Amino acid sequence: MLEIASVTKRYGGQAALDGISLSVGEGAYLSLLGPSGSGKSTLLRVLAGYETPDAGQVTLDGRNLNAVPAHERGIGFVSQGFALFPHLSVFDNVAFGLRYHAHKPVRDSAETRRRVMETLEMVGLADYVQREIQQLSGGQKQRVALARTLVVRPRLCLLDEPLGALDANLRQRMTVELRRIHAALGITFFHVTGNEMEALAMGDRVVVLDQGRILQVDAPDTVYNRPSSIAVARFLNRYNLFSGRADGQGGIATAAGTVAAPRLCEQRQHAENVDFCIRIDKIRVQPEGEALAEDEAALMATYIASEFSGAIITHLFRLADERVVEVENHLSHRRPTEYDAGRRYSLVWPRDEGLVFPAQAVTREATARAAA
Amino acid sequence: MSTTTQAEVVPMAGEAASSGRAARRQALGSWMLLAPGVIWMTLCLVLPMLMMIYVSFWTQHTFSIDSTLTLDSWEAFFSTPTYLDSLLTTVRLWFITLALILAIGYPVAVFIGLFVRNKTLQTSLLVLCVVPFWTSFLIRVVAWRPMLGTEGAVNIILLKLGLIQQPIEALLFTQYSVVIGMVQIYVVFMVGPVAFMVSRIDRSLIEAARDLGASTARIFFTIILPLSLPGIVVGSIFVSVMVLGEFATPSALSGGKVNLLGNIIVTQVGSLKWAFASVCGVILTVLMAVTVVALLRIVNLRREI
Repeated sequence: MLEIASVTKRYGGQAALDGISLSVGEGAYLSLLGPSGSGKSTLLRVLAGYETPDAGQVTLDGRNLNAVPAHERGIGFVSQGFALFPHLSVFDNVAFGLRYHAHKPVRDSAETRRRVMETLEMVGLADYVQREIQQLSGGQKQRVALARTLVVRPRLCLLDEPLGALDANLRQRMTVELRRIHAALGITFFHVTGNEMEALAMGDRVVVLDQGRILQVDAPDTVYNRPSSIAVARFLNRYNLFSGRADGQGGIATAAGTVAAPRLCEQRQHAENVDFCIRIDKIRVQPEGEALAEDEAALMATYIASEFSGAIITHLFRLADERVVEVENHLSHRRPTEYDAGRRYSLVWPRDEGLVFPAQAVTREATARAAA
Repeated sequence: MSTTTQAEVVPMAGEAASSGRAARRQALGSWMLLAPGVIWMTLCLVLPMLMMIYVSFWTQHTFSIDSTLTLDSWEAFFSTPTYLDSLLTTVRLWFITLALILAIGYPVAVFIGLFVRNKTLQTSLLVLCVVPFWTSFLIRVVAWRPMLGTEGAVNIILLKLGLIQQPIEALLFTQYSVVIGMVQIYVVFMVGPVAFMVSRIDRSLIEAARDLGASTARIFFTIILPLSLPGIVVGSIFVSVMVLGEFATPSALSGGKVNLLGNIIVTQVGSLKWAFASVCGVILTVLMAVTVVALLRIVNLRREI
């Protein structure tokens, strides 16, 4: 339905979007994950029509949107600060797009009323029609903004960090609400967020963006379990990252010691620089010196401290190269073991759970320069 | 009123005496903070006004005045066509000036507040509007004479351009010159407040409105105009109060042909007709008060600040 083809946007020589290509299907819920400055807001603004791309094009249902102004695109935009009209009531805010559309306004006030009420009911604000915007809480404002965009039934609804301004409790509820509203309307949602957990929870598909480029487009569980690069793994905040060198004998030499590589990667040629990562909840801690199973990899580390957060406890260990790694235990699985601060343990994981990537281009160039 | 007082008093009674004392001390504190302002306003505004109303009922003799109360001055005002004319002229020129100031100042203010994105440039442009105030009021007014006169700059330019065949004499020493002078002097008092309000409009509101399909005209009338209304009201109050109290511009630019209420007051005071001057003063003050109250009813300024 929506096709983004090699869209590039520069601000003063700096590429905010660098050849973005993406295809979005009818009724999809897409979440766009990226750190601040990754270009995710720019992409949204290009789609909405607030910015014109320097190269590439956006097509919606086969129609090239590049020359189409924002209000004729059939794309709704819910901005980060909600952008509600402060001098209008909730009703008038939501009715705005119906009443005042330049080409196809709804002139029948009964019709306007019916559609506004229907949408407000859907977002759960039917009792707040006559309220002033100032009298609403953050979550309610968010819903009004959503209703105002959805009442005109756009083909595509862009949400710019919709949960960013809400507190944690509300965020949880709005997550569910958003999914419900999406299911009820069948409109394509494009949800931008800097929060990895939100991206994974919301999207049918997750698009990971960094420095204006798409790093990965996949289902949430694929992104989570099989990040396509070390950069994606870094954004997920769930992996311990290492860089090292494949030794050609099924091992990877890192600054903290040599670990067994996943067997799929054993054929990697000798002395290739690689990035390596292991998810924090795949690691098991065992006393130093205990034997490993054949399919396990291990690193020696010194225990520092633990962080308790309800169902999860995170243990921090210091490696031989002074770097700190995290190990996460789910308390529902096993009772937390007490570790002695300063004592050495071995961190063990099934070797096939480790992920190996060719070292990123930057690193390789840097190494080449250093060698020369 | 009584119910709210009760609601406040009842829990107070149940509380310890010390908290009552603390509340009293706090009340005393806020009264002390208020006192300087209250005293100042009483001495410089309320008392003179009361005095003015009182004097307007005194008996006027040729060169003296005594405190016997009479309606003579009031009757004189409302039965003399010259004075009623002057009241009408004041109101008429005020409306024309205000309308012109809105027509000229509002677009400028919207331009500065909305289209100039750079904050520094915005501030510089506003400062530019204030530059005329660096010269004295009198110079600014008198400078219009060589501009508007029969052989003034405007006429010369129009003649040279071939737009007119002979100089327009109506430009100077008429109502027009008074209006032109007042518009030029007071327009900045409209530009400032409106530019301030407009610059506070979140640009994402305009984007949102555009995204919802509204045309530029629609965005202006439904979003920008209502949100800048407080600025218009504040600007109108400034301009109205100053224009209604004007006497210098008309006397300098009309050659004595246009007499606003302010000019009448000056003349009367000059000939020691205090009672009559007070009548004019009261009428002018009432006119201003009604204007300000009416303007303030349009918007709730307290909500905007």
